[in-house]
Amino acid sequence: MDAASRPAKASVVRDLRRTYKTTKGIFRKKRETVEAVRGISFDVDYGELFGLVGPNGAGKTTTIKMLTTLLTPTSGTATVLGYDVTRQVTELRRNIGIIFGGERGLYYRVSGRENLRYFADLYGVPMSVREKRIQGLLELVGLADRADERVESYSRGMKQRLHIAKGLVNDPKLVFMDEPTIGLDPEAARDCRRMIRDLIQKGKTVLLTTHYMFEADELCRRIGVIAHGQIVALDTPADLKRYVKDVTVIEVEALNAAEADLAALRKQPDVVAVNAEVVGERQIIRIQTPRGGEFIPEVTRILSRARIVDVRTKEPTLEDAYLKLVGAA
Amino acid sequence: MSRFQTFAGSFRMSMTNFFADPQWIIPNIIAPFTFTAVALIFFRNVTGSVALYAVLGGGMMGMWGNTLYGAGFALAFDRWNGTLEYVMGTPSRLVWIVAGRSASNAVLGLLNALAIFAVAVFGFGAQLGLADPLRFFVALVLTLASLSALGVVFCSSFVLTRSAQIMTNGLEMPIYVITGSMFPIALLPFWTSPFSLALGPTWGIDAMRYAADPTYVGMGFGYAVDVAVVALTLVAYLAVGFVLFLAVENRARRDATLVEV
Repeated sequence: MDAASRPAKASVVRDLRRTYKTTKGIFRKKRETVEAVRGISFDVDYGELFGLVGPNGAGKTTTIKMLTTLLTPTSGTATVLGYDVTRQVTELRRNIGIIFGGERGLYYRVSGRENLRYFADLYGVPMSVREKRIQGLLELVGLADRADERVESYSRGMKQRLHIAKGLVNDPKLVFMDEPTIGLDPEAARDCRRMIRDLIQKGKTVLLTTHYMFEADELCRRIGVIAHGQIVALDTPADLKRYVKDVTVIEVEALNAAEADLAALRKQPDVVAVNAEVVGERQIIRIQTPRGGEFIPEVTRILSRARIVDVRTKEPTLEDAYLKLVGAA
Repeated sequence: MSRFQTFAGSFRMSMTNFFADPQWIIPNIIAPFTFTAVALIFFRNVTGSVALYAVLGGGMMGMWGNTLYGAGFALAFDRWNGTLEYVMGTPSRLVWIVAGRSASNAVLGLLNALAIFAVAVFGFGAQLGLADPLRFFVALVLTLASLSALGVVFCSSFVLTRSAQIMTNGLEMPIYVITGSMFPIALLPFWTSPFSLALGPTWGIDAMRYAADPTYVGMGFGYAVDVAVVALTLVAYLAVGFVLFLAVENRARRDATLVEV
């Protein structure tokens, strides 16, 4: 497909929906319908790195699965590289790569090279180019010297690099990546992000889902924020940050902050969002407020039962914008 | 998309995975060998058809076990590895992937059967007295192909269920018994006959016995009819398997039965 004959957009998604029927109970089974994706629409440009971010269960993976033809949409339309996801399944699959994160998805008892060879066969890579392409991919992901060892002996990072090579074995035009850095140590995750950037430089289009906002900020040209199966915001990282341009973030490092105190903070009229995460023994509490540093005494008063180690103000990040958007949805 | 490339790639991957797992020795060598050895020890003073029943029984156990487990685990294995979605996401038709894996299991089954023959003849001195080895071999290969095609049919339903292991465990012995692998189907209750006659291996085993023993009466249709029916069932199973796979692939995408989402 040359530039003249290809469709205007790499992917066009319109009002895409997916429901599941689930059953509850053992003897008196109750059928329930769950709406995983509730009418999402977006476009992806050629050569773009487009990100989908959202909490667990927001519908990111279901969306990726519909776009990669692994799931049929309940309603709505979607095209990828001009191919309809429900009617032109084989043509579409031939031109895309799929890279899911996590430990699984490889044949552990055979070598990395044998894994790539098998998927090359399933994608119909001509025998005349197969071995050369596999060697090239192994070098690209830095596995050439371990290619003939069993995958079970690989580290987590090596497995993820093999996943990336596997997803590129058919030389796809568009690559879908579902949380590719999940569970990786910082160095392996950085390597993975470098490889993703290289793909864009090579002219590929990438649709990425991630939990890590700094990763989306660093990599993506545009980001769609999904919550409860709907896109609640879609913009560049810089523009998404404008959702929190009027707030300051007060970051409190504390020990033993009670959930009731955090709830009390959330109820304050000057608080936009509160997020707490545990890092080691400490809690990092991020409070978004339009009142800036003058709100710190109020925060320390509400958290007086906790042992406060440090308090500082920060400029809001993409993560703060995300928390505000997801919290409001 | 080359169907042959898909078939050959799946055949090779199945073989490589099989030999990479040391557990393959138990169902493929130890179980059939023990079964045959026990039968031969029971009937050590008897030659001819009884010895043949014992050896064919052990051989069929290995062949069918391989095929059924191969079919059931062909996709269950991918579920466990998390590779099923990747495999389903390729442009290759699932039926050719499974056919390649089933063919690999059939070849392993054949090696298994030959090993049992060798052990029976050279280890236990069994007098098999194959009257017509060529016709016997033709019937054996056709039976094996029919078993593989039956495996493809079963496998299509295994795509939809996460309980393939339960189904393979449940199907192994009934099929083994109603095809007359170990003893004549005439000994079975009358109501089992339709099931027996619908299965290609029943006819294949009968054909093998005709080829081995000129005095064998069996089901009474003769070698040529038996072989023709096996060939017919082979084609029928493949056709049914192909149609089922097309339907099943679409249903798996519609009902999200590949993995939990």
